[in-house]
Amino acid sequence: MAQVINGKMNKLLNTPLKAFTLYALLVLAGSIPAYYYIVNRIWLSEIDLHNKFVKRKIETEFSKIVINDTILIQSLSLWNRIEPGIDLRPLAKPVQKSDSLYTVMRANNLHSRHSNRFRGLSSYLIINGKPYHLTVETNVEEADEIISDIAFVTFGFFILLVIGFIVLNQRISAKLWKPFYKTLHQIKAFDLSSQRSIAFEKTTILEFEELNGSLQRLIEKNISSYQEQKEFTENASHELQTPLAIIQSKLDLLLQNEALTGKESEIIEAAHKALARTSRINKNLLLLAKIENQQFVDTEPINLSQLMNDSLDFLSEHIEAKNITIDKQIEQGVFIEGNRILLEILINNLLLNAIRHNVENGKIGVEFSKHRFIVSNTGHNHSLNTANLFKRFSTSSAETPSSGLGLAIVKQICNRYHWQIHYSFDQQLHCFFVAF
Amino acid sequence: MRILIIEDEPELAKSIADYLLGENYLCEFAASFEEAFEKVTTYEYNCILLDLMLPGGDGMKILEELKKQNKQDGVIIISAKNALDDKIKGLHLGADDYLAKPFHLSELAARIYSVIRRRQFANANIIQQNELKIDLLAKTLLIHNTPVLLTKKEFDLLLFFMGNRNRVISKNALAEHLSGDLADMLDNHDFVYAHIKNLKKKLTEAGCDNYLKTVYGTGYKWENE
Repeated sequence: MAQVINGKMNKLLNTPLKAFTLYALLVLAGSIPAYYYIVNRIWLSEIDLHNKFVKRKIETEFSKIVINDTILIQSLSLWNRIEPGIDLRPLAKPVQKSDSLYTVMRANNLHSRHSNRFRGLSSYLIINGKPYHLTVETNVEEADEIISDIAFVTFGFFILLVIGFIVLNQRISAKLWKPFYKTLHQIKAFDLSSQRSIAFEKTTILEFEELNGSLQRLIEKNISSYQEQKEFTENASHELQTPLAIIQSKLDLLLQNEALTGKESEIIEAAHKALARTSRINKNLLLLAKIENQQFVDTEPINLSQLMNDSLDFLSEHIEAKNITIDKQIEQGVFIEGNRILLEILINNLLLNAIRHNVENGKIGVEFSKHRFIVSNTGHNHSLNTANLFKRFSTSSAETPSSGLGLAIVKQICNRYHWQIHYSFDQQLHCFFVAF
Repeated sequence: MRILIIEDEPELAKSIADYLLGENYLCEFAASFEEAFEKVTTYEYNCILLDLMLPGGDGMKILEELKKQNKQDGVIIISAKNALDDKIKGLHLGADDYLAKPFHLSELAARIYSVIRRRQFANANIIQQNELKIDLLAKTLLIHNTPVLLTKKEFDLLLFFMGNRNRVISKNALAEHLSGDLADMLDNHDFVYAHIKNLKKKLTEAGCDNYLKTVYGTGYKWENE
């Protein structure tokens, strides 16, 4: 059950972790275009400044030197070929235009086909009294390259964040939630029938302290009402014993009447039977209450194999009466620590059930090993209702006038010793497994 | 035989006395602790039936007193508690038997019979009825001085009848006697019939008179005039 829950559910602390991780992812992803925009702008403005600086340098240098126009033009055509970044061409007539900035994609040089992004400055100058057009272009990193670089770094930070979240989360889980998990563990281990309350540890966290306090009150209330209920059952059963004994004795006396007719005898017999059933229910309720009240405290090492064999011997006449075949595989010398009376009841109840609900010429299988035993029997050709098989009075019916408590007692004894009991219907056999 | 019934429930005490009447038993009653204490310390009884929960005190104290005074009265505890501790403690304090309520009067009668026999004939405990001779110690049966081999259950049944001579015993009572608590769980009590049939057959074959009668619809009766 717990595993199924774990499979479907998230641990408390993993839920915010997921949310945090997702949020960090969103924020960091959103930061990529923002970083790009800023980096790009800074870059472009820096380049623009640089381009303007180049232009100004050219202007200044030209104003200082005195050069023949023809040589200048010859030099320029050579310059323009070598350095495509700066292009200075003479114009036919002067153009009245202020400087402009632009971005262009082109190959870096004549030999390369790969196009790059360039930031350019277009300017019109007058050198030696003649108009010239100057373009200064500087290579800028391409947009996709910038984005991929930023994304790469951002992703790195994201990984760092997630690792940090996980580590921090574990630290917090270990420290902050420790009292909570401790409480949870204690409640899980709580067994109402043990009648022991839970002593929660003091914590410094208000909510946990309140939680523990509330749980403590709840548990104590539960224990006391459970106690009352058990005492009630025990007292009620006790009180019933004496009136039942009186009725029983009166019927026994009535039976001694010489003048009884056959019909009257039958009535007495019927009353006897009903009374026997009442006594039995009462006795079993009392037994259950006693087991619950931890009244069978004495334990001793008990040879279960021996007990099983004795019980089979004792019941042999009832087994033979129905012509039942016994198939027993009993490992010898299986010892277990327990109360003799309870273990006898456990084994007898299981065996008696196997006999009672069996068919004529049926089979009973008894398998016994170190850590478990199985009692199986033929009977009805359908599985029993496992949901309430071990509940009180669930199997009682007019058809089988049992006390309806036999299996409840078996279950209670198993609970007492923390043994597992379960039922299955397999290959036409009703099997009861007890694992200890 | 003097029997003291220490029981605060008058109807139950009366039933017990009625049932035991006529079997050479003289019954006295005590309904409170003080009354019981006074009677057991003053008189001798062959058998005391002791209810542990008495108005005025704990029945165990009476047992302790009997032990202290080294009295030889047989004691059967009849208790509604059926607690193992009580049983152990009671037997340890010298009680002969322990019977949990509710019980069949026939069961009680058989136990009283057995306790008294044990107390009276410690060494040679032999029941004789005409041709029948039962040795309780050796657990053997002789009919016309010839041993008859009985199973443990058949012998048990025979003793049960001895303790309830001339009384009708219900099948229920016999079933409970033979299988104890397990009788509760068994649907039918046919096994009682099977044992009785076998016992009857063995007795008849050994030449024993037919004392064991079937009472129509109810049970069985051992007749002995």
